[in-house]
Amino acid sequence: MNNPSLKGRPPYPFKTIGVAVAFSPRLKEVLGEAIIIAAACDARLLLFHVGRKTPHHETTLRECCQRLGLSSQATRIIWQDGNPVPTLLNLCKVNGVDLLILGALRRENLFRYYLGSVARGLSRAAKCSLLLLTEPKANGTSFSKFVICGDKNPKTIHTINAAVYFGQNVGAQEITVVTELDQPGLAMAMADHSTAGQALQTKSQMNSEAISNAHDMICLCAPGKITIKEKTIPGQPGHAIRQYAESSHADLLAINSPDTRYGLIDRIFPHDLEHILEDLPCSMLIVHSRSCQTTPNRPSP
Amino acid sequence: MSKLSHNDLITLLLAVSTMLIISRIVSEYGKRFGLPLVMGELLVGIALGPTILGHLSPTTHSILFPFASNANFSLAMDTITSLSVIMLLFVTGLEVRLPLVLRQGKIAITTGLGGMILPFASGLALAWFFPQLFNAPNNGPSHAIFALFLGTALSISALPVIARILLDMNMLKTDIGMVILAAAIFNDLVGWLVFSFILSMARQGSGSPATIGHTIMSITAFSAFMLIAGRFAINRILPWVETNLSWPGGVLSLSLGLCLLCAAFTQSINVHAILGAFIAGIVIGDSVHLREQAREIMHQFVTNFFAPLFFVSIGLNVDFLRHFDLQIVTIVLILAYIGKVAGAGVGAKIGGMSWRQSLAIGFGLNARGAMEIILGSLAFEAAIISQPVFVALVVMALITSITSAPMMRYFMKTPSPTQQTRVS
Repeated sequence: MNNPSLKGRPPYPFKTIGVAVAFSPRLKEVLGEAIIIAAACDARLLLFHVGRKTPHHETTLRECCQRLGLSSQATRIIWQDGNPVPTLLNLCKVNGVDLLILGALRRENLFRYYLGSVARGLSRAAKCSLLLLTEPKANGTSFSKFVICGDKNPKTIHTINAAVYFGQNVGAQEITVVTELDQPGLAMAMADHSTAGQALQTKSQMNSEAISNAHDMICLCAPGKITIKEKTIPGQPGHAIRQYAESSHADLLAINSPDTRYGLIDRIFPHDLEHILEDLPCSMLIVHSRSCQTTPNRPSP
Repeated sequence: MSKLSHNDLITLLLAVSTMLIISRIVSEYGKRFGLPLVMGELLVGIALGPTILGHLSPTTHSILFPFASNANFSLAMDTITSLSVIMLLFVTGLEVRLPLVLRQGKIAITTGLGGMILPFASGLALAWFFPQLFNAPNNGPSHAIFALFLGTALSISALPVIARILLDMNMLKTDIGMVILAAAIFNDLVGWLVFSFILSMARQGSGSPATIGHTIMSITAFSAFMLIAGRFAINRILPWVETNLSWPGGVLSLSLGLCLLCAAFTQSINVHAILGAFIAGIVIGDSVHLREQAREIMHQFVTNFFAPLFFVSIGLNVDFLRHFDLQIVTIVLILAYIGKVAGAGVGAKIGGMSWRQSLAIGFGLNARGAMEIILGSLAFEAAIISQPVFVALVVMALITSITSAPMMRYFMKTPSPTQQTRVS
């Protein structure tokens, strides 16, 4: 297998899609979703299993693929021993994976910590985009309503474009670019010498700046038939958008990949991505912008 | 049991209302000239205190503020100012968002560290090797405590003033604004932890390794417990309180109650009450469930009621003219500017900013404002510093706060608000 260089490659189109096969009770559902998405994106599908290749596992996977109509010639199954997170990361890198699909638990608890930690570990460190499926269905989920995090970040435009590309392929109808308004120090600064009018003006100015910023980014996209809206919500990053996605019954939440490598301290004092991973509101697409220097304009499909 | 008499209560109420009303008028007037709120409050204290009114009309001064002649009044005022400082530290803690420091990553840490290490080292070294410059003791535990204090005093920043400056300059949401805020949060967090240690050492009056170890352990254990277990508990209790109890009464009662509880606890373990209040503020302010409106109410309440009483009372207790020592003021000012601007500037440069941006960040973090005055006031109360050093710290706090915005504008090439108005 070639080892194509991932650096500088745009985050979309998804030419190679990997699936993390965990032999969990949801194996069939995750695989079914991956097959449908790969077909929609016209992508090559790779199946990764981290663990020993036992005859039982081999048979189970073959049977599952057959039931889902996936021929063994059309796809590659890669078995490798090791620690799940680094092994999967390495497999994605070696195989030039653009999107890794895996099943994720909505809410972590002590008993489900291990599974949760694999999703977390991958989310923090993956060099490709990730699709975490909370409620996969063997016959495919309807990804109709997307919520995208519209942070003021150079990566955001890539995330919006990647989500639009994905949305066009899976038949999305509505995308909302949401900007979270949280300004540390604002309440403190306004308590000191601000009239009611000034306070109101400051807040509305911040709101319109966020809307205008999101609007500028949306103008760079070619959404096709998808309706794109912009919205601002108050609250701490990660937590506010998680709540919004939940209350608006979104099918997919798309966010930027983390800027820095998250560690234990980020877990103790959770922020951004960690807040979302704590309690996934819906399936989540984490877009990894391999290079922010690439042109933000979406290439025509 | 000693209690306030009918006349004592009238005097106290009159004094409090005088402090609140006059400081509001002066502060609003000062606002037209871009002066920070705290400046107006201090000026009122200086005008009503021994510095001016005490000289011009000692009888009026002693009738209005009978600190010397009425022990009950003095005790009541002392209680009000103690409560005020606890509340001020609580609302400062409310804005300490640890995730912001983590989000900003390397640059927040290098800037914050640079803005602490150089001022701390320069203040500590000067006070240690040349205590005579500050008329400070030159041996024994007091010498070490004074040196540690001066280092800490020079390394702290004032989050409220910085936030206000950034808001006025429309830089609160910019990258530089975020770096300054994150570094100031880092400075405040470390600075107040170190200062709690110094206060505790000063109170215990012993520099034995066992005492130092015990104090460090108490501060670390309390902070760690509250920041981990306390945050976990608050994140579960707060949503329930917001849903099931009166709004915003329930949240306010819980927040202020927790603040006073933590303050009482830290005071009882021989660490100053401010640490408890500060950590309680962090725990509550960091919660994703705390609504912005509740945060605003707490800030408004403390900034417009407790803060004026505290800052005016500073002027009431200290004669700023008699204790103004030009040498000490000059040394403190030079140390403050060089240490903070150079330290934070180099830190920001290491973090990846340009030199101009780094200097703007350095000057931004140089604003000490109310925090420095609180720090100095507590140190003065604990007999760590003399009146001239306290006066020098107050002067430094005011000058650094006033010069911060113009210097930032110069390096950022941002037009001043008047220029912006003219352009628009």
